[in-house]
Amino acid sequence: MNAPLLHIIKDQHCWLSPGRCIYWEEEKALILSDLHFGKTGHFRKAGIAVPAHVYKEDLQRLVEQVQYFQPSQIIIVGDLFHSKANKELDLFTKWRESFSDIIIRLIKGNHDILKDEGYEAMNMEVHPTLWSKGPFSFCHDCEELKEDSETYAFSGHIHPGIRISGKARQALQFPCYYFTQNYCVMPAFSRFTGIALISPKKKEKVFAIADEQVIKIL
Amino acid sequence: MITTIKLKKTKGYQVITNWLDSIDKKPFAFQEQAWAQMMEDRSGLVNAPTGTGKTYSVFLGAVIHFINQYPNDYQSKSKNGLQLIWITPLRALAKDIGRAMEEVFFHLGMNWKVGIRNGDTDTAERARQKRQMPEVLIITPESLHLILAQKNNAANFKTLRFIAVDEWHELIGSKRGVQVELAISRLVGMKDTESQKLKVKSQNAESENENPVILSLSKDAPCHPEPAEGLNSKLSIWGISATIGNLEEAKEVLLAPLDLLNIDAKETAIIKANIHKNISVESIFPDEIEKYPWAGHLGLKLIDKVVPIINENKTTLIFINTRGMSERWYQSLLNVSPDLAGLLALHHGSIEMELRTWVEETLHTGKLKAVVSTASLDLGVDFRPVDTVIQVGSPKGVARFLQRAGRSGHQPDAISRIYFLPTHSLELVEAAALKQAIKENIVESREPRLLCYDVLIQYLNTLAVGDGFYPEQIYEEVKKTYGYRYLEKEDWDQLLHFITSGGTALQQYDEYKKVEVIDGLFKINSRRIAMRHRMHIGTIVSDAMLRVKFLSGGYIGVIEEYFISRLMPGDVFTLAGRNLEFIMIKDMTAIVKKSTAKKSMVPSWQGGRMPLSANLGKKLREMFNVPAADTKTKDEPEELKILQPLFQLQKKLSHVPREDELLIEQIETRDGFHLFVYPFEGRLVHEAMAAILAYRISLITPISFSFAMNDYGFELLSDQPIPVDDSNVYELFSPENLLNDIQRSMNATEMAKRKFRDIAVIGGLIFQGFPGEQKKARHLQSSASLLFKVFSEYEPNNVLIRQAYNEVMEQQMEEERLRNMLERIQQSRIILTFPERLTPFCFPIKVDSMREDLSSEKLEDRVKKMQQQLEDG
Repeated sequence: MNAPLLHIIKDQHCWLSPGRCIYWEEEKALILSDLHFGKTGHFRKAGIAVPAHVYKEDLQRLVEQVQYFQPSQIIIVGDLFHSKANKELDLFTKWRESFSDIIIRLIKGNHDILKDEGYEAMNMEVHPTLWSKGPFSFCHDCEELKEDSETYAFSGHIHPGIRISGKARQALQFPCYYFTQNYCVMPAFSRFTGIALISPKKKEKVFAIADEQVIKIL
Repeated sequence: MITTIKLKKTKGYQVITNWLDSIDKKPFAFQEQAWAQMMEDRSGLVNAPTGTGKTYSVFLGAVIHFINQYPNDYQSKSKNGLQLIWITPLRALAKDIGRAMEEVFFHLGMNWKVGIRNGDTDTAERARQKRQMPEVLIITPESLHLILAQKNNAANFKTLRFIAVDEWHELIGSKRGVQVELAISRLVGMKDTESQKLKVKSQNAESENENPVILSLSKDAPCHPEPAEGLNSKLSIWGISATIGNLEEAKEVLLAPLDLLNIDAKETAIIKANIHKNISVESIFPDEIEKYPWAGHLGLKLIDKVVPIINENKTTLIFINTRGMSERWYQSLLNVSPDLAGLLALHHGSIEMELRTWVEETLHTGKLKAVVSTASLDLGVDFRPVDTVIQVGSPKGVARFLQRAGRSGHQPDAISRIYFLPTHSLELVEAAALKQAIKENIVESREPRLLCYDVLIQYLNTLAVGDGFYPEQIYEEVKKTYGYRYLEKEDWDQLLHFITSGGTALQQYDEYKKVEVIDGLFKINSRRIAMRHRMHIGTIVSDAMLRVKFLSGGYIGVIEEYFISRLMPGDVFTLAGRNLEFIMIKDMTAIVKKSTAKKSMVPSWQGGRMPLSANLGKKLREMFNVPAADTKTKDEPEELKILQPLFQLQKKLSHVPREDELLIEQIETRDGFHLFVYPFEGRLVHEAMAAILAYRISLITPISFSFAMNDYGFELLSDQPIPVDDSNVYELFSPENLLNDIQRSMNATEMAKRKFRDIAVIGGLIFQGFPGEQKKARHLQSSASLLFKVFSEYEPNNVLIRQAYNEVMEQQMEEERLRNMLERIQQSRIILTFPERLTPFCFPIKVDSMREDLSSEKLEDRVKKMQQQLEDG
């Protein structure tokens, strides 16, 4: 894996990984969003033959990230699972059991529709909308944040992407980390997701993930 | 050749001619030809333009056949089962054709029923048809597949004698044409099985004491069994087509499956109507060519010339190439001539069905003065009141232009009148080229589609939803179609694997479920998946469309997802002649409300952008010989005369190429370094050529480009000088290594991604949801580009991905045409010029490429400014 990039917010050390997650050093926390686990299985069960190996790769990447950063907790800002339970989630459960000492905190997203028992069985701490720790708070959709909040928020949901255009109308687009004044939008962890292009304003920061590298754009 | 002598002695012929006599009509020679062929159970193709009795040629043939079979009780016989399937590409046609047929049965006193089957047929009627099939079934290709998706569907076709495919020229070049091929292969295959059964039965009757009967599917022995009473083993197939360049091939594509019945293609005929239609073509000229825009508007500058034409004639059809432009024209016509309100209508594929039907019916009654339309009115029954047609912008091909001209003046000996209205100055050259092509009788070919894996996957799922299928049998049938002649066994196996196991899987964690194999029978058992598939069959026509509805309720039409996805809430756009404010997307529906805003965006529909045909391109290049020469010719077309000032400027700044020359202009502007090339080969070939040229240049030096193109030429734009000069230019346009360079030119992936959109929908990867289930299906939504990405990464060898690239080569790159072009260029003189500023030739390309970023209003302003700069300079 290429080296992560350091980004400091509210004096906290945040490492932006090319593996589509952020490592928060002070709290030994890995922050992730929009994993959409089980999505390929959900499609396949309905007779839509998308390659299941996308999911396998996502899960492998998660293992790599955990091994690299050795976090004590994983904070997921929503859309951990794509839909109802299916066999692919069994694979995740197996994975969970082999990393049972890591705390997993899930802030629910619109796709997280499992019953509470389901999450409990996987030994997860579930927060319906918002969870705060120190100077940071975590939620799924930044639209629902209160304006006057004093914490800096981490969110997901939109799967942000950035379009970079050069002279002579050349253009490329990548998934990205998007930092506004008071919140961050994480790239979707799953590779089986599209991107929504963002239009950053002044003073906002954007880091693109291109060719397994994190590149500062703004 | 079969003579009509025998026909004329038959009871059927007499009954029909007596009736025709009673309404003062006589059969045409080509109709009698077709009837004689059908009497002998032969198959073939009727070549006749619309409005010449082509329907009767095949339809009455089937009726005569029946009367001859039952000369004494043809009138009283009822519930005869399905005799004739009439496949038509357009739902709108079905009703009128059905009515005409019913009228015939009424007059003949026959008990035949006519049924219509398409997306609009209600469930009660469907159920009725299921209980008792009508003798004639008028059906779209999609609905025919839907019947194949029913249980026990073979029972419907036991009595079938004739399949007619109307407007075959429209279907042949499309995936719906492939659907027709597959459906026919199945219907013929059923007869094959029938005849095998009969054969076994008759053999068994002869030797009762031998081995017990085994139903065999082997096709070793040729079989010509005599049909038992009421059971037909014979089937004849008839295509009806307007004139296209490859009629012989069109016939072969349609009739290829007859080989399953050991019928030789030589036994089939093409019957030509030889009805000559007089066509008058007139160009609409701007008063001052100098002031007419070079690009970037929609012909609206000439709207004042259109109003008198509408007023002077009974009914005028105005054909516009895109739905977006037609919306603008409709609005503008009402603005300049408010008294047309109520007498002017708009018709295109995105307008709600009911409204379209109303427009069509009102056209018949002659109550409309004019209709602004897209290709949606190209086909279909005649609108008798129409006496004038106006074509706005390039029709892109001779055949299409003729087809549209033919929509006016239906009475025998009447003249079809068509006006050509240019949307920019240079397009007038195209008018001259069209006239010349018509004079020389040049018509385009429609190339059949080959190896469409997506359609085949859909078809296999269709059969699996119905009674299930045995792969060996269906493989035989599919291999007999023209489109899948070259289907490799390996690919076939991969397709079967794809529908049964969903490609590569995660072993024990996989729950893929679609087609299940039980005792060798491939079948879909899940009712939910079956229902979803049935809902899906119609989607070959409509790709990724969203319904548009008012917040308060009320359906307006459909619109491409691509367009809506770029709108922000509050944006105003035009659909069906109304200004609408976009509110949100909910459940695959765009919710809007009425807007009073003056300015609005006009959707750019991707569908209607046809490239210029090869024939028209060639004529166009020839046209430039005249202005290129310095001496005046006597019979110079008036279009070219009028363009003199433009050609003068082009000559002054650069050069006007003759047909044996290729012009390349290199110009530097604020935007960067431009290279303009003018092969006049159509947008698609230019797109491919631009990519290849860019790739080849990038081998010389590290450089990046963006492209733009139109039907006349293309542009490469770079931020650094482009190293093209007389030392390397022939090499850059060499046909050598073409295949290699196509594959390497970076655009192939991007183009394949675009092609994949359709393929993913047809192949069943993108599920568009259906009424009542939209919410539940939300977690099954994904975009074609996302699917393309994951398939490319994880299953690059997937048949659908390969098909996307194949389509790029055949449809997009038009490889063969590309190669011909390069060979032509090698024989030509390449002229390199370095104009100081933009030329009249490059202007339309430059402006078209700006279109991507700017709304049309701003564009017009900007064009005005640019043209001003040009003339001042």
